[in-house]
Amino acid sequence: MAEHLLALRAAVMRRERVSHSTLHFFAYAFIALCLVFAAIAMATGDVFFFRLATEALIFGGLALAVDILLGYTGLLSLGQALFFGYGAYVSGLVLKEIEPSFWTAMGIVLVTATAFGAIAGIIAIRARGVYFALITFGLAQVVSKIVFNTRELGASDGIIGIPVIKTDFLLFQVDTGHAPSFFLLVLSIIVGLYFLVAYVMGTPFGRTLVAIRANESRVPFLGFHPWRYKLAAFILAANVAALSGALYPMLRGFVSPELMFFQVSGNAVIMVIIGGVGTLIGPLYGAAILTGLKSVIGTFTEHHLIVIGMLFVLSVIFFPKGLVGHARPRIERILAARGRES
Amino acid sequence: MISTDPPILSVRDLSVRFGALVAVNAVSFDAMRGHITSVIGPNGAGKSTLFNLISGAIRPSSGRVVFEGQDVTGAPPYRMLAAGLSRSFQITNLFFELSVYENLRLAAQFLEGATRALKPVSRSRLAQERVERLIEQFRLQHQAHELAGYLSHGEQRRLEIAVALACRPRVLLLDEPTQGMSHADTAETEEMIKSLAGELSILLIEHDVDLVMNLSDHVVVMHQGAKLAEGPPAEVRANPAVQAAYFGDAHHA
Amino acid sequence: MLDWLQFILAPQVINGLSIGVAVVLMALGLTIIFGLLDVINMAHGEFYALGAYLGYALIASGVSFWFALVFVPLLMVPIGYATERLLIRRVFHSKERHILTLLLTFGLAILLEDGLKLAFGANPLKPEQPISGASEIIGLYFPNYRLFLMAVGVLIIVAVWLTVYRTSLGAMVRAAAFDRHMAASLGVRVSHVYAGTFAFGVALAGISGVLLAPIYSVFPTMGKDFVLIAFSVVIIGGMGSIKGAVLAGLILTQIQAVSSLYISPVWTDPLLFGIMVLVLMVRPQGLFGRLGHG
Repeated sequence: MAEHLLALRAAVMRRERVSHSTLHFFAYAFIALCLVFAAIAMATGDVFFFRLATEALIFGGLALAVDILLGYTGLLSLGQALFFGYGAYVSGLVLKEIEPSFWTAMGIVLVTATAFGAIAGIIAIRARGVYFALITFGLAQVVSKIVFNTRELGASDGIIGIPVIKTDFLLFQVDTGHAPSFFLLVLSIIVGLYFLVAYVMGTPFGRTLVAIRANESRVPFLGFHPWRYKLAAFILAANVAALSGALYPMLRGFVSPELMFFQVSGNAVIMVIIGGVGTLIGPLYGAAILTGLKSVIGTFTEHHLIVIGMLFVLSVIFFPKGLVGHARPRIERILAARGRES
Repeated sequence: MISTDPPILSVRDLSVRFGALVAVNAVSFDAMRGHITSVIGPNGAGKSTLFNLISGAIRPSSGRVVFEGQDVTGAPPYRMLAAGLSRSFQITNLFFELSVYENLRLAAQFLEGATRALKPVSRSRLAQERVERLIEQFRLQHQAHELAGYLSHGEQRRLEIAVALACRPRVLLLDEPTQGMSHADTAETEEMIKSLAGELSILLIEHDVDLVMNLSDHVVVMHQGAKLAEGPPAEVRANPAVQAAYFGDAHHA
Repeated sequence: MLDWLQFILAPQVINGLSIGVAVVLMALGLTIIFGLLDVINMAHGEFYALGAYLGYALIASGVSFWFALVFVPLLMVPIGYATERLLIRRVFHSKERHILTLLLTFGLAILLEDGLKLAFGANPLKPEQPISGASEIIGLYFPNYRLFLMAVGVLIIVAVWLTVYRTSLGAMVRAAAFDRHMAASLGVRVSHVYAGTFAFGVALAGISGVLLAPIYSVFPTMGKDFVLIAFSVVIIGGMGSIKGAVLAGLILTQIQAVSSLYISPVWTDPLLFGIMVLVLMVRPQGLFGRLGHG
């Protein structure tokens, strides 16, 4: 093979390795930060912050789902909490009414959220651009209202008294009532979802989503049917949101219609923007930052939303790539330099 | 050159109406395997609309498109591509925020087929080799990592053709490939199109009459949505109706 | 049958009409802003709440309702103008301005809602009825204030219509909506038209707030549900279409009012949303085209 082609191939592979390892650098750093937090919290015997951090991770899963749609497919979902709440309700009902088993709950959520996501997706992806945003917003708003008024689902109270469960994971047994071990379980599930989604985005399927985001009109002329890909992305995002939501009742022991409200969807969008849209790991950072900010500001004033709203507006204007998006080129340079040295 | 092979692409009485406007009116012609078939005509003659009909971008109101013996009338673009027909665009239609390499890889991805859907693209040898080959062929080595949006016009036009070629089509529709190109680039593109024919059957829309006459095996002349004439270049050039409608216009324009 | 018409259907229709007029006012602001600037104003509901609170505060400080009704929209104009100049303009030329402006106005909505909570508290405030009593129409009694609301609403809608379609100011707005560059070359100061239009849309939300406060009372999240209906109206009527907003607004609120005779009010929102989804599936561009385009 010609020498310049070999050079090109090497350059392409180097670039891809650097960009790949940069995002995974952020993922490993995130895991490390979580473990440091867990060690400190365990040493101090804290429960409150453990629970709060677990909740941040769970909402981080929801933000990850928003990023699949916004960062990769170019679809802004303003109603992703619909699937999060769906997962939470189904999981809560299974644990309470059918069987207090982790795997049964997650399995049923996975199967039914696929069907639910497909139906909602067929409706939502008919719409493009801002219409998609509004239709997802409306869909979530309406379903949450129905749930809010359905007595069988506990109406405005939601479902309470969801039992604590114990589950075996190979060598370990996890008790959802035990804050540290449940934190570690949630961490591994959410990070596992991240790695799964990151892998999928590197496959032809994921690249086609990126192509749709960049220029949907050309995609059919490359041999791909954009509708199928958008629907698949929507179902994937619905599942990621629903599986994250399924962890919520295990943490808090209840679910409420508020989980489907616009505020939850909106918060997920804020997490994605602050953390870095289109990076997948950024939303998890965003979730940690937003939860942290809320609890810090919350100690001074109950009006933390003014501060959050202001920060969000400023970051959309001045910091649109978010934390990971801005830090990425720096880490890439460092990793590329190190790659050349070795 | 008389070929006894059946045509690779055959258009029969193809029409499309937009309200009262008949943009393409009962056009029929055949494109032979390995040949360059050109469609010429003044602005507004319906050439690009004809391409949109053949490539599946819009559905015809009536008529048929037959590709390799199969009726593909009204098939959507992704199905036409799967059948082996690809196209480029008159107005550059790329993924401007992605790199040249990524543009080509997306287009070459189709070669991998559905069975490889879960294998990361960075490990896809088939697509990789195809992209490298195209980068070399279209002299884009130095721009491989550039974003497509930052390329010069000439480079974008080259990439436009390369993207259409990446899936190894059997028929390639080129919609004014030299649009806005410099003389040097046009001459080079002409050579390239010539070298592609043979293995590939090409359907070409061009404004540059000299280029068309040099390159084509067969020329179809359109005027006001209908076919005015067709035949070998010399014959078409000599046709008085064509001279009046097209070359006449071109000289006065 | 006649009794049913008179005592059951008629009150629903007239109540629906009074809500319809208010919904149309909200939808008009949204649709004009979208038609010209391509901006989905997620803070529209909060601007409506802001209008209601400003009206409440003015009246509490001793001025009359009538003064507030005129003065609040005038106050909203500089607020809207500044919002466009300080926030929306900053991301307006980005390729992703649809999403960025939506996010910006969403952030603004959070800020405004909590700001109102901070300033006025979270509990609902009930302004006094500026017009008391009721009038008899076809043997039924309707609160005078509702009748007044309808009359004023219709007046404003007609005024907006005339402004957009019959004045040179409206011609500038329509020209800018049709083709920004062409309008600029014809001497239209496009950037002022943009900011002015945003301010105008926001002022319409503000006046709806003042008008509806005596009926629904005033609380920080009062805009949330209301704006969802307004969004449905704008989507069904066609984003950017004034005619569409008026017709869809009146039809949708009538469906809402009449259907509530048969189904629980809990189900009217899903019904309206279902209609919206159906329209989107059949005619994604809505019933009518957008501002400046035919």
